[in-house]
Amino acid sequence: MILRRLAALLFVPLMVAFGSGVYLYLGTLKSKVVKERPQLPTVTKPKFILPGTMFVVQDGRLFKLNAGSFTEIGRAGDWSQPALTPDHKRLVAVLRAGASSDLYLLDLNGQVVKRLTKDDSKILDANHWAYYPRVSPDGASLFYSFDSPKLRSNAPGVDLSVWSMPLNGAQSQARRWTDPYWYTGGDVSPIPLAGGAILYVRHSIDNSTAVHAQIFYQSRPLSVGKPLTSAADDCSQPALSPDGTQVAMVCSHGKQTASLEIAPFNGSALGPASVVLEGGLYASPAWSPDGKALAYLAPAGAAGHFQLWYLALPQPAPSPTATSSPSVAASPGSTPRPTSRPTPTPAPAAPVQVTQGVDLTATSPPAWF
Amino acid sequence: MVGQGTARRRRASRLHPVRLAVLTILCLALSGVAGVAAYFFPVVVAGVGQTGQTVVVPPVNILGVKTTPKPAASPGAPFTVLLLGSDDDGKNKSPLTQSMILVRVEPASKHVTMLSIPRDLWVPLSTGGSAKIDAAYAYGGASAAIATVERNFHVHIDEYAWVGLTGLIKLIDQLGGIDLFVTNPVLDDFYPDDIGGGDLYGYKRVAVLPGAQHLDGASALQYVRSRHNDVNGDFGRSARQQQVLLAIKAKASTLNAADLPDIVNALSGRFKTSMGLDRVRSLLSVASAFDLANVNQVVLYVPNFSSYGQISGQSVLLPHWSQILAVTRANFP
Repeated sequence: MILRRLAALLFVPLMVAFGSGVYLYLGTLKSKVVKERPQLPTVTKPKFILPGTMFVVQDGRLFKLNAGSFTEIGRAGDWSQPALTPDHKRLVAVLRAGASSDLYLLDLNGQVVKRLTKDDSKILDANHWAYYPRVSPDGASLFYSFDSPKLRSNAPGVDLSVWSMPLNGAQSQARRWTDPYWYTGGDVSPIPLAGGAILYVRHSIDNSTAVHAQIFYQSRPLSVGKPLTSAADDCSQPALSPDGTQVAMVCSHGKQTASLEIAPFNGSALGPASVVLEGGLYASPAWSPDGKALAYLAPAGAAGHFQLWYLALPQPAPSPTATSSPSVAASPGSTPRPTSRPTPTPAPAAPVQVTQGVDLTATSPPAWF
Repeated sequence: MVGQGTARRRRASRLHPVRLAVLTILCLALSGVAGVAAYFFPVVVAGVGQTGQTVVVPPVNILGVKTTPKPAASPGAPFTVLLLGSDDDGKNKSPLTQSMILVRVEPASKHVTMLSIPRDLWVPLSTGGSAKIDAAYAYGGASAAIATVERNFHVHIDEYAWVGLTGLIKLIDQLGGIDLFVTNPVLDDFYPDDIGGGDLYGYKRVAVLPGAQHLDGASALQYVRSRHNDVNGDFGRSARQQQVLLAIKAKASTLNAADLPDIVNALSGRFKTSMGLDRVRSLLSVASAFDLANVNQVVLYVPNFSSYGQISGQSVLLPHWSQILAVTRANFP
C-alpha cells in the first residue's frame, strides 16, 4: 500500500514534466517568422568571400566586411549610407539623431574625422535631414539630399533636394542643385559624374495620381534635368560602374516587386537596359571594384531580413550607345523614352547569398572597394 | 475467514498490468492536454474577450436597396469585412477611425478586393446628422461605423475588425517585421508623437526612405500614418495602408497554430472583431492561399470619386455617389 502511494506520488511529477514538455514542444513548432531574429554580422560567417572591402549597415551600426569577416567600426549611433571618397581613405556617412540627420567624414575604422553638417535645431520643423552622401570623382565636392527649402503653408512641405558643398568646406557654402516635385519626398541618390554633372532620382506624380521614380541627368545647379528613364519604369537607386560606362538600377515598374537592371551609360544618356534579375525585393546595388559583379541586398527566407548577395555579370556590356536623346521636358506627366524596354541578355550566373541570419539596412547601399 | 478476506483485498488492490497501463496513458494524456490548454490559454481568453464581438446594426432600406441584414455567410461563401484602425492612446475617449478599409474575400476564386474609404468623406451618419465618416466609430462604435458604411455605400458587411495603433506595431513586431517596396520618401515634420510615452499632443519628425526594405512595427506605422507631405494627401496614405496590409498578409501566411498565443498576447486589448475563432482560423488559412495578383486595390481618389470642400470650417471630401456606388456595385455585389 505504501509502495503504491509512493508510486502515485512519483507519478505526479512525471505528469507535470510531461505536460510541461508538451507546452515546450508546442513552442518549438512556432514558425520561423516569429522565432527568427537577426544576428549581428560579427557573429556570423559569410558563406562567400567577396573580393576587396565592403562597408554595410545594420540597425544603425557600421560594419566592415573584409576577407570573409565582419568587424564593427565606429562609435554607437544611428549610422547609415556610408560612401567612400575616391581615394578610398575616408567614408562619408549619415548619423541620424532624433529629428535630424548629419553627414560625417570618417576614417575607415569609423572614427569621426569631421562633422560636415549641422542640421539639428530645438525648433522641431527647423531640423533637417541629410541623406545619400556621395563624393565627387575629384574628391572636392560632397553631394547629398537635403530637405531645404521647406514649404511654409497650410500644407507644410518637406522634400529632399540635391545639394553640394565642398568636402573640405563649410555647410554655409552648400548650394542647391535640384528643385523637387513638392510633396513627393523629393530628389534622392545623387551620383556626381566626372564632368561635373550629376545623376539623381526624381520623384513625381502622373495624371493618374501614381508617384514615379525616374533617374535624371543634370549638368549644373538648378538647370532643367533630363530624364534618363521613363516614369512607367520606376527606376531608382542608380549605381555607376567603376569605369563609368554602366548604370545598375532597381526598377519596380509600378509593382511591389522589382527588377535589377543594367544599362550602358555614355556620360549623359542611358542605352537599352538589360534585366539581370526580376521579381524580387532588390535594393541598393553596388559594383564590385573590378566592375565585373554586383552586390545587392534582398530578403532571404520567410523572415524577410535583408541579406547581402553577389551576382557575377556575364561579360562587359557593349559600348554605351544611347538609343535616343531624351526629351528635355521634366514635367511629371511626361514619359520620355530614352531607353528601349529592357532586353534579355545572356543570363548572369546565379546570385550567391553572402550573408545569412543578419538584417542589413536595405536603404544603405554597400560601399565597396 | 480473516485470512481469505485479506488476500482478496490484496488482489483487488494490486492493479492488473493492462489497467495500470491504461491509467498511466490516461494520466499522461491528461497532463498533455493540460500542457496544450496552458499553451493556448491566451488564445482562449482572447477568443472569449476579443473575437465574436456582437454588433447590432439596424436594418434600413435606402433607395430600395436592402443593406442589412443578410443571411450569415455560409462557409466558403464570399464575405465582406470592414477593417477599422484608430489611435488607442487615450487622447480621445471615443477615437476617430484613421483607417476604414472594406475587404471582400472570395474564398472559392481566391480573390480579394480592398476599398479604402477616405476618412474625410462627408456622409450622413447612422447615429444622425452628417459628419466626416471617421466620426461614425467615435459616436457609436463599430455598429455605427458598419451601419454608416452600409447605408452610404450600399454594401452588406458581414464582419468587422478593429485594431489600435499600438496593436498594429506589436503585431508587425511579432511577425518579425514586414517587407515593403517604398516608392518615394515619406517625410513628415508634424507626425503625432503619441506612441510610446511621447507627448499626446506633440509632434515629431519622421523619414521613411524609398526602396525595398524591412520595416519594424514602429516604422511601418510611420509609413501608414504619415500624411502631411503626401502629394495624394489622405489617399496616398490609404494606398500605403493597403500596401502594409498585403505585406502583413504575406507574412501571416507563414504562421501556424503554434504562433497564435504570441500573436494574441501582442494584440491583447488592441484588437476586436466580430469574427469568431472559426472564421479567424479559416481566414488565416484562406490568406495563405492568396496570390497578390488576385488582390484588387481601390482607392477613391479625387476628382473622380469626390471633391474637396469646406463645411463648418472643416476641410472635407464631398462624395460623388454615382461614381462611388458604381465601384462598390462592381466590387461588392
